[in-house]
Amino acid sequence: MKTLQARGISVRFRDQQVLDTVSVELESGSTSMLVGPNGAGKSTLLKVLLGLVRPDSGFLEVDGERTSINNDWKQRIGYLPEAVAFSENLTGQQVMRFFARARGVRKQRVDTVLERVGLTAASRRTVRGYSRGMRQRLGLGISILSKPDLLILDEPTAGLDQEGLGVLWSIIEEWQASGRMTFASTHDLVLMERHVNTICVLREGRVLAQGSAEDLRNEAALPHRIWLSTHPQAGPKVDLLCNAMRKWGRGRIEAMEGRVLAEVPSDAILEIVDIQGGFPGVVSGIRVEEPTLDRVYDRLLGAD
Amino acid sequence: MGRVGRALIWHEFVERTRDRWVLVVSMLFALLALGVGLYGSGAETDAARLTGPSLVTLASMLVPLVALVLSHDAIVGERERNTLGLLLSLPVGRHEVVFAKFIGRSLALTLAIGLGLGTAIAVSESGSSRALIALVGPTLLLGLAFLSIGLLISTCTRQRSTATSAVVVVWFLLVFFYDLGILGLLIATDGGLSQSLVGGLVVANPAGLYRVQMMEAFAGPDFLEEMGIRAGLPGGGAVAFLWGAWLILPATLSGLLLRYRKIA
Repeated sequence: MKTLQARGISVRFRDQQVLDTVSVELESGSTSMLVGPNGAGKSTLLKVLLGLVRPDSGFLEVDGERTSINNDWKQRIGYLPEAVAFSENLTGQQVMRFFARARGVRKQRVDTVLERVGLTAASRRTVRGYSRGMRQRLGLGISILSKPDLLILDEPTAGLDQEGLGVLWSIIEEWQASGRMTFASTHDLVLMERHVNTICVLREGRVLAQGSAEDLRNEAALPHRIWLSTHPQAGPKVDLLCNAMRKWGRGRIEAMEGRVLAEVPSDAILEIVDIQGGFPGVVSGIRVEEPTLDRVYDRLLGAD
Repeated sequence: MGRVGRALIWHEFVERTRDRWVLVVSMLFALLALGVGLYGSGAETDAARLTGPSLVTLASMLVPLVALVLSHDAIVGERERNTLGLLLSLPVGRHEVVFAKFIGRSLALTLAIGLGLGTAIAVSESGSSRALIALVGPTLLLGLAFLSIGLLISTCTRQRSTATSAVVVVWFLLVFFYDLGILGLLIATDGGLSQSLVGGLVVANPAGLYRVQMMEAFAGPDFLEEMGIRAGLPGGGAVAFLWGAWLILPATLSGLLLRYRKIA
């Protein structure tokens, strides 16, 4: 599978339009992130891909050809539901063996996956004794049992500790490296950012923005923060530098103890560097902070 | 039944046996059967004539409750654990999921009733044993019918607590109040209902069908004649049809409901 496109997906639950002509595209070797406030339609869109919700209109295309969601399609998908909780009376191994049998996966693969998600030692304990993170790791393991072409993860970071997050990142990287696809819905934008290629922002069932993190930053047009550390001996020269930057007029300048903050558009970063160059001996270091995805997201949603 | 269905049947069966449910129900049945058997053997009359009807009365109340409790969370439980979507994302039809759950839990119920009554049969004296053996088949059918009803309730409800309340209401309605309702109808119409209608109404309820079938087995057709419902009762073929309908219809309806439901 090289590309997967969902085109014009609309879903209505009674009086509520949950998804309104949503189109997304996934490519092999890519990880896409679906973000949006509660009720934006993230989980519903994932469920459309899984065949759990039949859209009122719209369709899926695989490699440019229209496809129906049947058992062959389901065989190619792995799924981690949000806040999954398994039968408490069964052991982790029993739960995973059931899904392995159901997907026609060999027993040996169960042991491999249990080790991969760090549950080998706990595999013979009942799920009742599992922490939330362990249950999430069990769910993650189940989702990759059959090495699916498309991995659908609903809030995959929820409840995971550092070790669990490490497991998640390694799985995402493996899926990227092997040319498979991952589609994840999340609220942890900052945590996920380094591991995704494209981001789709949903609001009230519509796509608000779509593209790489860089595309979204450009669209949000938020200023970059430039931190200029100043020499202790610089004294009044710092004020002169600040005045020069204010006079330049392309950003907000704020002097603090031992440093100066300049908030400027991304295309003006070099100009700040040029201006400080005119005041030798004042600045000892420069650190550029691009806007966090949280801020970008808030700006796109109009919540900042 | 495909690969997923077969795996699910085994999974359901194992899950029920893991929570000691089968063991508890088996012991309950064995104790009740033994208790009634001892009571029957202590009497001077034919043990089977006492043991059988007493067990029928107990089983007609207990078995439906056990079956409803066993099946009430089959679907709604998965929904609450957020595993229904995971289950339905497997390459399997929704109706197959329902039937696999029905079969898996039926096996657990059969094992529980079989173990309980089997133990009682093994240790009872011959008079009581005969009564117990006659009870096995219809008791299983009664259990499976209510299991199917419980599955339907589980599919219709969105919360486990609602399903629990619903099965208790259904149990009271079908096991206790149904016969009272027919009685009330007879009084209200001043006995104006025909025997065939009354008989038909009695056997339209699986608990009533079980009681009548067992009464006929233990007390003979004359007893039903005396009660005035013999004429309205269906023959052997119709009884088999009614059992089949109670087993299949609720589970089928459950499958259809799940098929057209959006898993929100």
